[in-house]
Amino acid sequence: MGKKRKHSETVAVASVKKDDDDAAASERPQRTLLGWKDKKNGAQETETKTTTTTTTTAGFRNKEKVLVTCSRRINFRYRHLMLNVVSLLPHCKKDNKVESKESKGATLNELVELKSCSSCLFFECRKHKDLYLWMAKCPNGPSVKFLVNAVHTMEELKLTGNHLKGSRPLLTFSSNFDSNAHWKLLKEMIIQIFGIPKEHRKSKPYHDHVFVFSIVDDHIWFRNYQISVPHNESDKIARGGLDNMTLVEVGPRFCLNPIKIFGGSFGGPTLYENPFYISPNQIRALEKRKKAGKYAKKVKAKTRRKMHELENPLEPDEFADMWKE
Amino acid sequence: MGVQNKGLALLKENKIEDDDNVDFDEEVSESESGSEFESESEEEEDEDVKLAEPSKNAIYNTDGILDKLGDISWPENVGWIHKLSIDIDQEQQVDVNDDLARELAFYNQALEGTKKAFEKLQSMGLPFLRPADYYAEMVKTDSHMEKVKGRLLAEKRKIEEAEERRKARESKKLAKEIQAQKQKERNKQKKEEIESVKKWRKQRQQSGFAGGDKDGEMDFSFEDGKSFERSNKKRPGVAPGDRSGGKTRQVGKGKKPQKRNFRDSKFGFGGKKALKKQNTAETTNEFRDFNKGHASGNKKRKR
Repeated sequence: MGKKRKHSETVAVASVKKDDDDAAASERPQRTLLGWKDKKNGAQETETKTTTTTTTTAGFRNKEKVLVTCSRRINFRYRHLMLNVVSLLPHCKKDNKVESKESKGATLNELVELKSCSSCLFFECRKHKDLYLWMAKCPNGPSVKFLVNAVHTMEELKLTGNHLKGSRPLLTFSSNFDSNAHWKLLKEMIIQIFGIPKEHRKSKPYHDHVFVFSIVDDHIWFRNYQISVPHNESDKIARGGLDNMTLVEVGPRFCLNPIKIFGGSFGGPTLYENPFYISPNQIRALEKRKKAGKYAKKVKAKTRRKMHELENPLEPDEFADMWKE
Repeated sequence: MGVQNKGLALLKENKIEDDDNVDFDEEVSESESGSEFESESEEEEDEDVKLAEPSKNAIYNTDGILDKLGDISWPENVGWIHKLSIDIDQEQQVDVNDDLARELAFYNQALEGTKKAFEKLQSMGLPFLRPADYYAEMVKTDSHMEKVKGRLLAEKRKIEEAEERRKARESKKLAKEIQAQKQKERNKQKKEEIESVKKWRKQRQQSGFAGGDKDGEMDFSFEDGKSFERSNKKRPGVAPGDRSGGKTRQVGKGKKPQKRNFRDSKFGFGGKKALKKQNTAETTNEFRDFNKGHASGNKKRKR
């Protein structure tokens, strides 16, 4: 690996030199693994290639790279979730924890640029309790902030499946992703971030797991299943295999509650705001207040009772001292 | 979550009930007037609460969103193989709080999606299934999978054991029943036999063969049942329960030895010991033995 890079560097340097020296040298055909590349032949080759690829897209190549990082003082559970995500995405780069004060503003953008990534997953943990997930397309794309709920990591023994590390997942979406503009946007982002680029050097060739993204109750639920199909050949399913297909859950599980969508990456104008969202802080405060009200209510009831007694005094009982002779 | 739910319900009730309390309740109920707790099930950390009605000032910039979508999305004609995404129709609304139904919906979505995708992949003619001899690093390590396996086995064993216990219990119950049934049958048979003998005897008496022995019907001496009873003759010197024929006496069962008698009287024999050892009114008032052994009582004690 290192060797290769060195080689390419030297070539680059040499070519620069040659450009300086004379134009004739640059005319020399480039070297390939099998010898000198014939210029004419090479041209032909590229031509054929383009003709084949034009059926899809001329030279489209997915070069997505995802930076995965988290804030400091993250919970172990959430950290494990992040590591699970890292293990699922071979096209990601994991970075050090980010100081939570820094997370606001441009530092994260800088970091992403530094790592030459095109998108970012940032796990932000607050108060050791609440996990927020930022999903951002980096130079100038949109970014989304989610509240993460119902986290199960891959380490749980209930999840018994297993699959190749770095095999490309199939992404399944429930049809309600097409119902609204913001869901459409989220779907596109998820496809780009969670889909592993074709022919990525760390990816493995076969498809043996499937991701589920499903919108239920205005949350995006994530599941990861292993596919087990009876088969003999690698490009054909055995007869009736599709009916015998079973899925085993691998994990992790989580549920994303979108809070806001911003125009820029980690900032910018707000494009969408979840109208139903209440922050967990508010919920906790509410609960606390409810508990606090208990005493006040009791006192109130007592005073009320007293007032009532004063207002309606008991009539003196004529038989009260009948037995006290 | 349940607690929250209940709490809210309580609060609301309170509000309806005591109208005097309005001033206090107001501030609480205001903040959550619209808020409806929706339990989200699963586990404790699920604190998912939603506003019942959407807040009015929430931003929804559709144009902006679509604009951004256009910015980031890949060219239209990108091959499916790059995306690998499949859309699946959800047949009906899934209840979030029903864990089983929800998971089933996800599973079905995954299953259908995989089927569709595999059909597509198969039609493309690309290899997409892992051959049995393709080994590579997996997401979960072998040691972890070992743990998983161990747990599965343990669970299976637990179930089996429980099953066995249940079976044993049931068979025990059954055995008891069978035993009772048998006992009943036996009793019935016995009764029937006795009945039949009685009947036969009556018949014989009626037919007039009271003492007859000619018709091959023997007069069994035990038929009147007397031979089973003990004879009333008393034999002198033999205990009523003695079955040895009175021989034991001769061997010398005689009297207890003198010494034994004495000891029995001294230490007691038979009966409850506790009663004998208790003080009575007599003994408590008796000081006869009280200071007797002053000199000789405690020999070890030094003066």
